[in-house]
Amino acid sequence: MKARKRERRRNAKPGGGTYVFRLFVAGNESNSSQARGNLARLCEEHIKGRYKIDVVDVLKDAAAAYKNGVLVTPTLILLKPLPKVTVLGNLNDTGQVLAALRLAGDER
Amino acid sequence: MNSQKPPYHELETRMKEAEELFHALRTQQVDAIVGERHIMVVRLKQAEENLKSSRNQLRALAAYLLSAREDERAVIARELHDEFGQALTSLHLGLSWISRKLAPGQRRLQEKIRSLSAITTSLIRSVKNIANELRPGVLDELGLVKTLRSEAREFEGHTGISCRFKTNTARTKFDRSAAVAIFRIVQAALTNVARHAHGSRALITLMKKKNGLILMVKDNGKGISSKLIHRHDSLGITGMRERALALGGTFTLDGSKSKGTILTVQIPLSRVIVGAAR
Repeated sequence: MKARKRERRRNAKPGGGTYVFRLFVAGNESNSSQARGNLARLCEEHIKGRYKIDVVDVLKDAAAAYKNGVLVTPTLILLKPLPKVTVLGNLNDTGQVLAALRLAGDER
Repeated sequence: MNSQKPPYHELETRMKEAEELFHALRTQQVDAIVGERHIMVVRLKQAEENLKSSRNQLRALAAYLLSAREDERAVIARELHDEFGQALTSLHLGLSWISRKLAPGQRRLQEKIRSLSAITTSLIRSVKNIANELRPGVLDELGLVKTLRSEAREFEGHTGISCRFKTNTARTKFDRSAAVAIFRIVQAALTNVARHAHGSRALITLMKKKNGLILMVKDNGKGISSKLIHRHDSLGITGMRERALALGGTFTLDGSKSKGTILTVQIPLSRVIVGAAR
């Protein structure tokens, strides 16, 4: 049962709900800045007005990183819609990032 | 059974996460590692770029220094040849003139003049040799191929090591600074053969191929060790490498006891041959 539910979630088409992201960065380091910019751009292009980004600077708030099991920055976590997805790196590879976040093809 | 064992999908997720982490690290997309006690900021990419930029600056400086040194050598060689050579020749002619004017009885004076004349001749030869060392006139006058042929002959004469030169570029017109660089590489390579190889034969080849101009200097000596190739104080090798790189080429040095030492320089045709397509 659980497995089937999980499979359904994994293949679920993105609906009209809000996307909630948490992006862990390290100050204004190069990859972190790129990840911030790339995420904002992707959201504007694909889910305009339906997203919320919570940026956590691990240099200021290390506890949040431990709590979320973050090992490196930049780390992006898609919190909603479920299932949770984690993407590492500067998010430069638009195609892969969109596929991982289940946003590929969602141009509404 | 083993109740502690995580279900298969969890293992699969962890493997995927580990792969992603590895990929992010390998592609230098990570700028901080969150440890148990510290957060370590890593700037691998930036450090690599800084290193690359410093290397390029050093390389450009080396190329500039090499070219400046060649220009200076050319000026000194010309000055030596024109000024000293001319003055010594005049001196020699003057001594001959005095010698002819002396009465047959002035034997002691005759001998003195003959001795001075011999010293002058020797000085003229020395000046010529020094000027030639600084900048082989033949390189500008006759071109690279004839200079290398003459260098091989001279090397054989000086060292007793048999030296052959082969080329398919006899009619090729070389860029002036490239010709100087190739000649200097050959000179340095032959110096190494004479000093370190302990061989009996050397071969220089200069071949024009589709993928570039290939210069090889081989010997049948004891073979250079890889330790020596990478030593920072091997200035001769560093100089040869820098000259090759300044021409956009590559430089390799290989050595083994059975094969001796093989030096290979490959330079794009566009950088060495006048009129070659860029």
